[in-house]
Amino acid sequence: MNNFSFYKDGKDLYCLFFIWLCLSFSSLFAKSSNGHNAIFFQQHQIQGTITDGNNPLPGVTIAVKSKLNSSTISDYSGQYTLFTSPTDTLIVSFIGFKTALVPIKDRTKIEIQLLYDTTTLQEVRVNAGYYSVKESERTGSIAKISAKDIEKQPVTNVLATMQGRMAGVDIIQDSGIPGGGFQIKIRGTNSLREEGNQPLYIIDGVPYSSDIIGYSNTTTGIPTPTSPLNNINPSDIESVEVLKDADATAIYGSRGANGVVLITTKKGASGKTRVTVTASSGFGQVTKMMNLMDTPQYLQMRRQGFVNDGITSYPATDYDINGTWDQNRYTDWQKELLGGTSVMTNLQTSLSGGSDLTQYLLSGTYHTETTVLPGDFGYDKGAVHFNMNHASEDRKFKLTFSTGYTFQNNKQAATDLTRTARNLAPNAPALYNPDGSLNFENSTFQNPLAALRAVTTAKTNDLVANSVISYEFRPNWELKVNLGFTDLKNTEQRLLPSTMYDPAFKIGSSRSSMYSNLTSRQSWIIEPQLRWNHEFESSKLDVLIGATAQQQNSSRLYQYGRGFTSNSLITDIASATTKSIFVSDQTIYKYQAFFGRINYNWDEKYILNLTARRDGSSRFGPGKQFAVFAAAGAAWLFSKENFLKENSFLSFGKLRASYGSTGSDQIGDYQYLDTYVSSGQSYNGIIGMDPTRLYNPDFSWEINKKLEVAIETGFLRDRIFFTAAWYQNRSSNQLVGIPLPGTTGFSSINANLDATVQNSGFEFTLRTVNFNAGAFKWSTNFNISLAKNKLISFPGLEGSTYSNNYVIGRSTNIVKVYQYNGINPQTGLYEVEDVNKDGQITSLEDKKTIADLTPKYFGGLENQLQYKNWQLDFLFQFVKQQNYNYTSNVPGGSPINQPSQMTNAWTQAGDNGSFQINTSGQNSDAVNAYYNYIDSNSGIVDASYVRLKNIALSYDLPLSTIKGVRCRISLQGQNLLTFTPYKGGDPEFRYTGYLPPLKVCTAGIQVTF
Amino acid sequence: MKNILKIPQSLFFRDKNRLSNCQFLLLALCTLLGSCNDFVDVDIPKSQLTAQAVFEDAATANAAMSGVYTKMRNSGILAGDATGISCYLGLYADEFDYYQQNAVSNFYNNSLFAADLGVNDIWNQSYNQIYSANSIIEGLNKSNSIPEPDKKQPLGEAIFIRALLHFYLLNLYGDIPYITTTDYLQNSRVSRLSADQVYQNIVKDLDQSIALLSENYTSTDRIRPNRGTAQALLARVYLYMKLYPEASNAASAVINNPLYVGESDLNKIFLKTSKTTIWQFMPSAAGANTSEGSLYIFTAGPPAIVALKPEFINAFEANDQRKTHWTTEVTNDGATWYYASKYKQESSTPTSVEYSILFRLSEQYLIRAEARAYQGDLIGAKEDLNIIRNTAGLSNTTAISAEEIIRDVLNQRRFEFFTEFGQRFFDLKRTGKLNETLTISKPGWNATDSLWPIPVLELNANPNLKPQNQGY
Repeated sequence: MNNFSFYKDGKDLYCLFFIWLCLSFSSLFAKSSNGHNAIFFQQHQIQGTITDGNNPLPGVTIAVKSKLNSSTISDYSGQYTLFTSPTDTLIVSFIGFKTALVPIKDRTKIEIQLLYDTTTLQEVRVNAGYYSVKESERTGSIAKISAKDIEKQPVTNVLATMQGRMAGVDIIQDSGIPGGGFQIKIRGTNSLREEGNQPLYIIDGVPYSSDIIGYSNTTTGIPTPTSPLNNINPSDIESVEVLKDADATAIYGSRGANGVVLITTKKGASGKTRVTVTASSGFGQVTKMMNLMDTPQYLQMRRQGFVNDGITSYPATDYDINGTWDQNRYTDWQKELLGGTSVMTNLQTSLSGGSDLTQYLLSGTYHTETTVLPGDFGYDKGAVHFNMNHASEDRKFKLTFSTGYTFQNNKQAATDLTRTARNLAPNAPALYNPDGSLNFENSTFQNPLAALRAVTTAKTNDLVANSVISYEFRPNWELKVNLGFTDLKNTEQRLLPSTMYDPAFKIGSSRSSMYSNLTSRQSWIIEPQLRWNHEFESSKLDVLIGATAQQQNSSRLYQYGRGFTSNSLITDIASATTKSIFVSDQTIYKYQAFFGRINYNWDEKYILNLTARRDGSSRFGPGKQFAVFAAAGAAWLFSKENFLKENSFLSFGKLRASYGSTGSDQIGDYQYLDTYVSSGQSYNGIIGMDPTRLYNPDFSWEINKKLEVAIETGFLRDRIFFTAAWYQNRSSNQLVGIPLPGTTGFSSINANLDATVQNSGFEFTLRTVNFNAGAFKWSTNFNISLAKNKLISFPGLEGSTYSNNYVIGRSTNIVKVYQYNGINPQTGLYEVEDVNKDGQITSLEDKKTIADLTPKYFGGLENQLQYKNWQLDFLFQFVKQQNYNYTSNVPGGSPINQPSQMTNAWTQAGDNGSFQINTSGQNSDAVNAYYNYIDSNSGIVDASYVRLKNIALSYDLPLSTIKGVRCRISLQGQNLLTFTPYKGGDPEFRYTGYLPPLKVCTAGIQVTF
Repeated sequence: MKNILKIPQSLFFRDKNRLSNCQFLLLALCTLLGSCNDFVDVDIPKSQLTAQAVFEDAATANAAMSGVYTKMRNSGILAGDATGISCYLGLYADEFDYYQQNAVSNFYNNSLFAADLGVNDIWNQSYNQIYSANSIIEGLNKSNSIPEPDKKQPLGEAIFIRALLHFYLLNLYGDIPYITTTDYLQNSRVSRLSADQVYQNIVKDLDQSIALLSENYTSTDRIRPNRGTAQALLARVYLYMKLYPEASNAASAVINNPLYVGESDLNKIFLKTSKTTIWQFMPSAAGANTSEGSLYIFTAGPPAIVALKPEFINAFEANDQRKTHWTTEVTNDGATWYYASKYKQESSTPTSVEYSILFRLSEQYLIRAEARAYQGDLIGAKEDLNIIRNTAGLSNTTAISAEEIIRDVLNQRRFEFFTEFGQRFFDLKRTGKLNETLTISKPGWNATDSLWPIPVLELNANPNLKPQNQGY
C-alpha cells in the first residue's frame, strides 16, 4: 500500500480532496431524494401544553398514530401545535416518562400531563465516542454528567463540575486562584511518571490536548503552569462522559490508557425561536484558615530559641525581637492578606430554534471574577458557541457543525501570598504609612503588598471547530467523516517592575524585568468512518470501521526583557534594553490509526462488543511507532430471561464484563532524538548550544490491560437502581524518565521500565427515587469508589534508582519516611528510628516506614428535592485519605510564624512538650532533627474530609399569565461546609502553601422566552 | 456471519447507477486506511541539531562550547549571583551576614542537610556542565570533518573545564567520582575516588589541556581559557596538593608570561580591560556587567541579601587601600553596613565595563610566595608577597621566618580574594584552620561542616556513592 502513500507536503491537498469527495456526494444524493414527506392533508389544528404535573415539558415528541412521520416537538414552555384529523390519536413520548396515547376526539385544545417512568432512563443513549449506545445495552463502563448537573455549579472549569459526581474519577483542585489547574485521575495512577496520567479529552470528536500551555516562569501565582482545560466553557456543555474500562477505551487505543473524557457541547433544538438569558453573581472566600501564634506566643517562642541556643544579644537582623519592630503589635496576616472576598458575575444568553430538518444554537457567555488577595486582580472569560444541524429531507444526509471560541484574560499576582501570610511575624509592621504609601519600616520589612506589584497576565484565545458529515448511501450503510480543527494561542507575561522593591534601594525601571511566553497550538483531524448495521430475525449486528489522521503543531517562544525607560513600557519587550530568547521551539506531533468495532446484539439479551485500533505515533523512534490495541466486552441482560421477565421486584438486571488493552504515548515529542538545542544565551556573540537530554531511541508504548466485571440492577420499576463494578487495570512497559544520579549530567532518561502497576477497585452507584407523588419529589444519587494501587512487579527494584520510592506489593503513591519516636526528654530534640542502628540517620537506610497517600475511598451523595416550583439539590463529596501536614520550612524559633499548638515546645530536661526545643536556627542538631521530623510519619496525617460540595436552590416564578415566558431564580453554593480533622488549612490540595479552593455563593436569574 | 461477506458484493454489483460512486468511496476509505506508515515520521525540529551534526562544523562545535560557558556563568559553582559559591561560601565561612527577610539560609547557619536545595543544585549543575564538556570532547574526537589542528583549542578548553569543575567539587563535597564519559550507564554507577586520585586526574587533564590550548587568547577580553589559564589552575591545584616546587613552577609560567601585567590602581583591577586578568566570563548581554555587582551592591541599608561582616571590615590592616577601594560603607539611621565593591557596577552601563573574573594574576604571586616559603626560598617568597602588599598600599612585610611569611600570605589572601569563589573557605580548609577560626565566629559551626553533604537523592540513586559524609 505504500504506493498510495502521501507525503508530508502533499497531505493538505489530500485532505481537501477527501473533504471535497464527501461533500460532492452529499449534494448529489441530496438532490436525488424525493420529497416523500410533502405536505399532507391539514384539516384540524390542535394545540395545548404538556406538563409533568407541575412544570411544562419542552422537547416532548407529539406524533399522530395514523401518520407516524408527521410529528412535532413541544417548545420551551411545553406548548405544541399540530394539524391532523380530528379522529386520530396522539402519541406523546418523552424520555423519562411513560408514553401517553391521547385520542383527539374533535378537541382543538388538549392539555397533556405525562407520568414519570423511571425505567425509561435505560433508553437514554450514551455517547461512547465513535458510536453511541443505549444505556441498557452498554457493555462498557461509562460515567456521565449532563447540563442539568453542570448548571447548578458556580464554577468555571469543566473538571470542577465532575468532582464527587462520578464513580472512579478522582479530581483535586490545585489552587483557589482563578485560572488554576485541576488534577484528574480516572481509576488511579497508571504510570510511574506523574505527568503520564492524563486522560484523553475529546470535544465533539476533536481531540483536545491537555498539555500545559503556560510556562513555569510566567505562571507563578498558581502551582502548575496554565492548563488549556480552562478554555472549555462549562455552560456550553450538554454532557460529559468518562470512558473507563477496556471496552469503552480500546477504540482510542494508544491514548485510552488513562481513560477518555468525552465532552459534548449543546445542540440546537427545533421549534419556536427560544431566547434564554441567565445572569448570576456572587462571592467567594477562603474555606479555612490555619490557627497560628499571636504576638505574645510568637515572641515567647523566638526568645526561647535564642535562650536555648545560648545567644544573649539578639542579632541586628532579627527585627521582630531586637526592638526594631513594635513588640505589642498584632496582625492576623491570613485575614489581612487572604481574607478578602472574590466577586464573580456570570452572564449568558442563548438563542436556539429551527425546523424539523435544520436547527441552530448560538450562545454567548461572559464571566468575570476577582480574587481574595488584596489588589486589583481579575479573571475574565468569554465564550461564543455555535451549533447547526441539518438533515436532508430524506434524512439520509446529515451535517453537524459546532464551533466554540473562548477568550480568557487573567491578571493575577505573580506570588501566591498563602505561605507569606502563614510565615509573617505577627508583630510585623503595618502595611501602609499614614500617607497611604507602602511601609517598609526603614527597610526592615519586606512588605508583602510590594510583591503583589509583580503580576502575571495570561491572554488565551481558543477555537475548537468540528463538523460531522454523514450520508446513508444505501439502507443500513452510512459513510461519515469527522473533521476537526483547534487553534489555541496563549500569551503570558510575568512583570517585575522596580516598584516591587523598597524605594530606599533606589532601584529604577532600568532594573525592571519581564518574562513572556507565547504558546500556540494548532491541530487538525480527519476521521472517515464506514458503518453498517443489519437486523437479523432476532439479532442485530453493527459494524464500524474508520481511520484517523491527526497532526498537532505547537510552538513556544519564551523571552526575557530587562531594563525599561519607564515601568509603563514593561509589557513591551521591544522597550527592554536587554532581551533574551530562552526557548523558541516548534514541535510536530503526528498520529494515525485505523479502528473498528463489531457489536452483536442477540435478542437484546446477549450483547458482544469487539473493538480494536492500530495506532502510529510520531513520538517514537523508527521501528517503534506502531502498535495494536483491542478489547472485548459482553453483556447479559438477565432480567429479560423468561424466568425473570414479569418479576415485580427486579425490573432490570445486567451483567457485563470486558477485557482489553490500551496504551499511552504521553512522553512528549522528539524524545527519542539525540540533539543539541540553542540555549538562547549568547557568549561572545555566539548563541550557545546545549545537549538536550541523555537519549534512548528504543522506548515504546506503555500498555494498560484492563479487566472489568459489573452488575447493574433495577428494582421496583427502577426506582432503586444499583450498579457495582469491579476492575483491575495493569499498566506495564512503563514509559518513564528513569531517575539517574546527577553524575550522569541529567536527572533522568526516557525508557520503558519492566514494571507493572495495578489499579483495582470497586465502584458502587445507587440511584433511588424516594418520593414521587404529587407535588413532592425526592431522589438520591450515591457513588463510592474504593481504589487500590499496587506495584505488582519491578525486576531489579532494589538495585535501581527507584528503590527508595517503591515497594513491591505496595501502592506507587507511597512515601518512605522515618519512624517518629517522640521527643528525647533530655535533649528536647525530635527523634526518629535509626533502623539499621549505625548511629546515623540516613534517608536510604532509615526511611523504612511506609505511608500510603492513595485515597482509600471517595465519592458523593446527592439529593434532589422538588416541591411544586421549588427545587433543592445538594451534593456532599467525601474523601478518605492521608496527606502531608502543613509544616513550615524551618524549625520553631526561627523568624517565621508557626501553628499555635507549637507553643507547647520543650524547654528543659524532663519536659514533655509535644514540639521540640526552639532554636534561632543556629542549633544544627535541632535543625536536622526538625527536617527528619517533617520527613517522618508524624508529617503525614489524616486529611479526610466531607464537604458540602454543591448546594443549589431554585424557584420557578409562576408566570402563567405571561404566555411562553419562564423565569427561574436560583441560589447556588460551592464548598460551603467542610468537615475534616486536618489542621493545616483546607484538606483539598496537592501542593502545600497555595491558596486552597474557595467557598462560593451566587444568586442568579434565568429568563426564557 | 455470511451476511457480512455478502453485503460488500451487493454494493458493487446490484445497482449499476451507484456502483462507481460506491466503489470510489470504498476505494477512498481503503486508500486512507492503507496509506502511509511514514505519515508518522516527523523531521527533526527546526530549532535543534543532532549531536552528530553539531560536530561536523567548527562553528556549531564552537556554539556548543559557548553553551558551556553560558551555563557556567549563569548557574552552578561559578555563578556570580546568590546561587553560586561566592555567595554560599561567603555565608558559610566568615565573610557575609545574611539579611534576606522571611528566609533562612542554611549556609549562613552552617546547618546544611542532605536534601538542601543549594547543595543539590551545585552538584547537579556541575555534573551537567561536566557532561557538556565530555560531550564536546567525544564529539570532537569522533568528528571527521573538523580538521585536527582546529580541534585543539576547543578540546583543550573542554578538558580544562572538566578539571576545573572537579577541583571545586572535590573541595566542597570531599571524595567524588571523576567523570570522563557521557555514557550514562557507567556514570550512574560510579564510585567516589580518594582526593589523591581525583587530584591525579585533574593534573592529567590540565597537562593535556596545557598541551592543547594556544598561548594567546582566541578572543578579545580574555573570555575563553588559554594556556595561561590552565597553568594558573594547575598552580592552584599543586598548592592544594602541597607540591610546592610544582606549584612554584606553574605560577612562574603565568607570572613570566608577558600577557599578564601588574596593575597598581586597585580601582582598575576589576575592569574588563585589566591586564591582571587571566580568565573572565563575559556577561549575557551588551552593556550588562557582573552578577556579583548586582548581588553585593546596595545603596541604602539594611541590605537586601548579604553584606560583609563588620568583623571582616575591622580586621583590615591600617592603611590597607583594599578596604577603601574594595569595600563601601552604607549608613542609615545610625546603623552601618559594608558591601564588597571590587565590582562597581550594580547594573547595566552603555557598554559593559566589568566582567566576572575567575583567575587573577595576584593569586599566582601569592601561590608562589607560599610555595617558595615552604621550599625555604624566603627572599623570593617575600618579593612576591610584597608585590601584593605594596599594591594594597601596605609597606613591605615584617615577617622573617617561613612560618611568619606563610601566615602573612594567608592573611593577604583573605583581604585580596574576599567574595571570590570561596577562596577564604578553601584557604582555611587546606591549611587546617577551618575549625579553630569558624568555631569562634560562627555559632552554628561543627567540625563536620568542612564538607558539604552528598545530595541525598544522589546516594539514593547510586548507592556506590555511599557513605554519606560525616555529620549528615
